[in-house]
Amino acid sequence: MFDKILIANRGEIALRVVRACREMGVKSVAVHSTADSDAMHVRMADEAVCIGPPSSAQSYLSFPAIISACEITGAQAIHPGYGFLSENAAFVQAVQDHDLTFIGPTAEHIRVMGDKITAKDTMKALGVPCVPGSDGGVPTLDDAKRVGEEIGYPVIIKATAGGGGRGMKVAQTADDIEKAFHSARAEAKAAFGNDEVYIEKYLTTPRHIEIQVFGDGKGNAVHLGERDCSLQRRHQKVFEEAPGPCITPELRARIGKVCADAVAKINYIGAGTIEFLFENDEFYFIEMNTRLQVEHPVTEAIFGVDLVREQLRVASGLPMSFTQDDLTINGHAIEVRINAEKLPNFSPCPGTITQYHAPGGLGVRMDSALYDGYRIPPYYDSLIGKLIVHGRDRPEALARLERALGELIVDGVDTTIPLFHALLAEKAIQTGDYNIHWLEHWLEKNLA
Amino acid sequence: MSNKTSHESDVSFIQALAELLRENDLTELQVKRDYGENDSLNVRVSRHTQTVMQASMPAQAPVAGPAPTVHGQPAASAAAASNDPATHPGAVTSPMVGTVYMAPEPGAAAFVSTGSSVKEGDTLLIIEAMKTMNHIPAPRAGTVKRILVEDGGPVEFGAPLVIIE
Repeated sequence: MFDKILIANRGEIALRVVRACREMGVKSVAVHSTADSDAMHVRMADEAVCIGPPSSAQSYLSFPAIISACEITGAQAIHPGYGFLSENAAFVQAVQDHDLTFIGPTAEHIRVMGDKITAKDTMKALGVPCVPGSDGGVPTLDDAKRVGEEIGYPVIIKATAGGGGRGMKVAQTADDIEKAFHSARAEAKAAFGNDEVYIEKYLTTPRHIEIQVFGDGKGNAVHLGERDCSLQRRHQKVFEEAPGPCITPELRARIGKVCADAVAKINYIGAGTIEFLFENDEFYFIEMNTRLQVEHPVTEAIFGVDLVREQLRVASGLPMSFTQDDLTINGHAIEVRINAEKLPNFSPCPGTITQYHAPGGLGVRMDSALYDGYRIPPYYDSLIGKLIVHGRDRPEALARLERALGELIVDGVDTTIPLFHALLAEKAIQTGDYNIHWLEHWLEKNLA
Repeated sequence: MSNKTSHESDVSFIQALAELLRENDLTELQVKRDYGENDSLNVRVSRHTQTVMQASMPAQAPVAGPAPTVHGQPAASAAAASNDPATHPGAVTSPMVGTVYMAPEPGAAAFVSTGSSVKEGDTLLIIEAMKTMNHIPAPRAGTVKRILVEDGGPVEFGAPLVIIE
């Protein structure tokens, strides 16, 4: 195991990593910009190094600053947290070139999964289900009809050269294909000067289901079930839960095994998440995140494991502390993201926290770097805390979430806390019957 | 004493008090002098310290281990013994985190020492970051009054390196 690691991040996730280090007897080094000198992660780490001015580019994203901080403190490894340099293949390479260890996957895996097309091709080859489609241009109407029959309706016809929704037409049934095909081609020609189109299965009301995987880099890997993160606003997750309300044990076992086998086959090391759209009991690969996710605590809650501890273990060459057979689900967990944002527009709201009180009690976890008098700097993202609750089942977790939200006090700035009070009163949230469009529609109706 | 000389001596007296405050790491100093009837001088000199930041820290912060040590401030002891060099108007601060070298190569003479006069652009020292040697130039001409870092020692972004007056 490492003696000392450096945490190349800030906020609640830096604190999260410090906590794991403390429990493992590993010394931690915090890095910070001048805007974060009095941040909680700086206070809680064993050592702290100021690495640059407020601008992320010159501090938390600066290769030389972070690697120099490792060198002057004697840290042997770097934990990147999420965001910032966590999925930067060039950084991972630089870390290795300086004989340091990156606590995460290899540069190669980050590179492959960072490119949408190679990621999809790689996953397809590994047996992971992807959105079925024509795999290339569809030149004639007969080809379009054949593809439509093969993959099943509804289908969407997209311009090969396209983007931004132009040149996209949906055919609900075989009767619509002729009209959709011709108008998509005409629109593509007009918009992009190229009338080539391709066809994909069209998902109308999918859910966002992601599978947590973990590999040891030596061909062993496990899955830790799914998280349902369908409640999103502008592709930003706001509410996550595990297990997914609509995922049966059979579905979980099937997709979990596919994912674990896939990452085992490529000798993946560390934590990873394979994201899917889920509709009619089928999974369709979107992308793989080669890092720890913001919402990892819901998985930790239901499996009773510490994913950061496991990251440090495998990065230092140790085996994972569990096998697939050791991993059983216990109860239900929900996370809500507390952002310093003003409703209804979710405009960022930096400022001074005049009072902060974290909720407590059975099954409540508050991951936050706030404290009384803390000034939220305006330079970084607006996530100021994550409230995670765990109960024996979903209704208990929901009741606990409502109770814990009632105890949480964040005064001095506007936050997204009122949003969650309102959401908990909704039938769709109580029953778990929502999809990736639900929150946007609800916000339009209730907050606009 | 004419008004003019009285004014000048008052100014230098206050300056002396300010110096005393800095050198003894005091936060406040008050002196009253009576020169005669309706002729007295009452001076209070104070300065801000970093206790403000400490006060804003959460009292309940469960810092289980040793208090965070701050790298790049071998100046820490120096700062306590004297004024805070980072706020000194002549302070040259570090533009990066790294390792300080006072000489162009091991065993060679240092670029500068206390009392050296420098021209704008003269190299004061080197900071190594990621195997790159970065020459830190004097931002202006003057005399090196203090050197706040050690050869081979670590330095943080923004930490004072030398004071040039």
